Amino acid sequence: MSSDEQIKNYQDILRQYSILNQIAKTVSSTLDLNKILRIILTGVTFGDGFGFNRAFLFLTDRQAKHLVGRMAIGPATLEEAWQIWADIQQKSVPLEELLMSEKFEAQYASSKLYEEVRKIRIDIDPEKILFMCLQDGIPRNVDLTQNVSVSEDNPVVSDICLFEQNLLDYLDYPKFCIIPLISRTRKVGVMIVDNKYNHRQIKSEDINFLLMLSQFAASSIRNTIIYNDLKDSLNALAKLNLKHKYLKEYNEKILESIPVSIIVLDHNMTVTMCNENSAGIMGTDKAQICGKKISAGMIYIDSVDLAEEVSSILANKRVQGFYKVNIKFQSHKSNSVFDVILVPFKFSEETPEGVLIIIEDVTKTVKLEQSLNEAKRLSELGKLSATIAHEIRNPLIAIGGYANRIKKKYMEKQEINPENIEIIINEVARLEKIVNDTLEFATAGKTQFKDFNICGLLLDCINLTGISAEQSNISIDIKSGSELIKNGYIFIQGSYDRLKQAFINVFNNAIEASETREVVSIEIFPETENENNFLVIKVNNKAKLAKEVDVNNIFIPFYTTKSKGTGLGLTITKKIIEQHKGTIDVSSDAETGTTFTIKLPVLQSTQVQQPALT
Amino acid sequence: MKKILVVEDDMPIRNLYKEELIDEGYVVVTAPDGVAGYEMFKEQKPDLITIDIKMPNMNGLELLDKIRKEDKEIPIIIYSAYGEFTQNFSTWAADEYLVKSSDLTEFKKRVSELLQK
Repeated sequence: MSSDEQIKNYQDILRQYSILNQIAKTVSSTLDLNKILRIILTGVTFGDGFGFNRAFLFLTDRQAKHLVGRMAIGPATLEEAWQIWADIQQKSVPLEELLMSEKFEAQYASSKLYEEVRKIRIDIDPEKILFMCLQDGIPRNVDLTQNVSVSEDNPVVSDICLFEQNLLDYLDYPKFCIIPLISRTRKVGVMIVDNKYNHRQIKSEDINFLLMLSQFAASSIRNTIIYNDLKDSLNALAKLNLKHKYLKEYNEKILESIPVSIIVLDHNMTVTMCNENSAGIMGTDKAQICGKKISAGMIYIDSVDLAEEVSSILANKRVQGFYKVNIKFQSHKSNSVFDVILVPFKFSEETPEGVLIIIEDVTKTVKLEQSLNEAKRLSELGKLSATIAHEIRNPLIAIGGYANRIKKKYMEKQEINPENIEIIINEVARLEKIVNDTLEFATAGKTQFKDFNICGLLLDCINLTGISAEQSNISIDIKSGSELIKNGYIFIQGSYDRLKQAFINVFNNAIEASETREVVSIEIFPETENENNFLVIKVNNKAKLAKEVDVNNIFIPFYTTKSKGTGLGLTITKKIIEQHKGTIDVSSDAETGTTFTIKLPVLQSTQVQQPALT
Repeated sequence: MKKILVVEDDMPIRNLYKEELIDEGYVVVTAPDGVAGYEMFKEQKPDLITIDIKMPNMNGLELLDKIRKEDKEIPIIIYSAYGEFTQNFSTWAADEYLVKSSDLTEFKKRVSELLQK
């Protein structure tokens, strides 16, 4: 090597170091990945530096399964190449200045080479050279022309089978160099450079410099990617936080706005959440309840201790409802009436089950219900008065008519028929009964309820009506429930006297509708429906009701199928049964006769005491 | 002697009318509802019929209608405990419409007038 050549060589090296330095300086001034990629590729292709004709960057995707085209710099045609070189010659802009200029920013978006490279996606295949480069970190000089002499001095890859076809189609030039970009263990991607237009051979010195650049480029790219990922995650996190905060406030707003009280208890009976409404009911504020443990005797729902009820709900995992109840918190008793629902509540799989308490103030509804019932009663009373006026007319006419007749006979000194006097007495009795029944009907609803054993009541009623049945030679047959009413205890909340009246009405009705020697049969049995207990009483007599309409009309005031009676008996019965939240229905057909079915809710399941062994 | 058919479901009133009309010198037959009333009309061939409106099985207006389809001439008195039926044109087929009263003077007067026509 001559000294001139040596001097030129040193100058080249110096220039390349200077380029490296300038690239490093500009790259470190930004965290924009696209800009960094452009700076690196521009540095590689800059005429004064490495001076490659074209440079391409492919980056690995997140799963490191593909290489994706990211950036390409260089002329698309030979003419463009000449144009660029001519430009550079004239202006001779230093690299650093070019890299920082605005023109540099805009230059690449429209480049055809750039557009095309973005479409390239290469599967990373262990059989191919790109994978090998990334694996061993060694650059590869490639020459796919036919007449290549491969030697130790010139280690050139020439086997076309090692390349993906879409890459070769895109590059459209058989000589290039592949430089892997590896930062520590992370395979960032590959850079490919060529000299498509001036055909300059890529020398081993070039490759050494590119390798130096590649290490720096790889770590810059990697850091930027990490930085950007981190930034994205932080942004997402911030957004999520904001959303979370919004949702929390949103939920709280809803909870505070609804006119319902909500309390959430965990498995330790500690209040994990409640709204202001719920605190208001207890005459305190949220802070006094939230986070506090509900202990025995602290909150009462009517006479039920909330703490006990909650433990039972946690044990049995059932929903419990209390309707129209009062709530007492410590010594504070609210004046309102509430519906309370306790629901087992699980926030997530990890947390043990708690209880959600929903309390609704139904004071207004209850008051409305009361006034509605009162209005209904008054309206019924109004209708009743009109009907009564009609009903008392016939007896009055009979009484007046016979009184006139007796007076006439008396005046004429004729014999008075004692039957006429008898009729007056009977009609007066009929009027009295109408008045009594009407009073009964009008005052129903003002009764105090208490708990009592309904079995004893039914036995009393059957015994009482049995006497009148015997007189008419009609027998009463208790087909089922005979043991139950003699020895059983089924408690009901209600009025003993009124229910007694209702049952006697139904039993008497069946007896009066029967002919001599017929049988009135009674069935009594408990029934459970939706976890509620009922007692069913069926009373049957053999006579079919006269007409179809009777089934619908039989409970209407003054509707009667009998020659005697006021037509109020069954009306009163129905009213009493309804007061006890029960139902009464009637069915009638030629085969079975007429059956009244009374269904009454009872307090607890049936208990039959074993009859004493004697 | 003139024969009168009294159709009335209320036993005490039926009895009262019967006794009063017998005192006036008529022969009286009775029926407790419309169905029995129609049978008696066919069977007994009365000279005059008195009918209550509100009755079970066949009511007085139905009975009136049924009798009038067969006999346009026979005097019929229809009555009820309420005054509202005066407005009901179905009662116009009867010769007289009366509101029931404990004073039977008016009732007996009408019976006598209708029988003398």
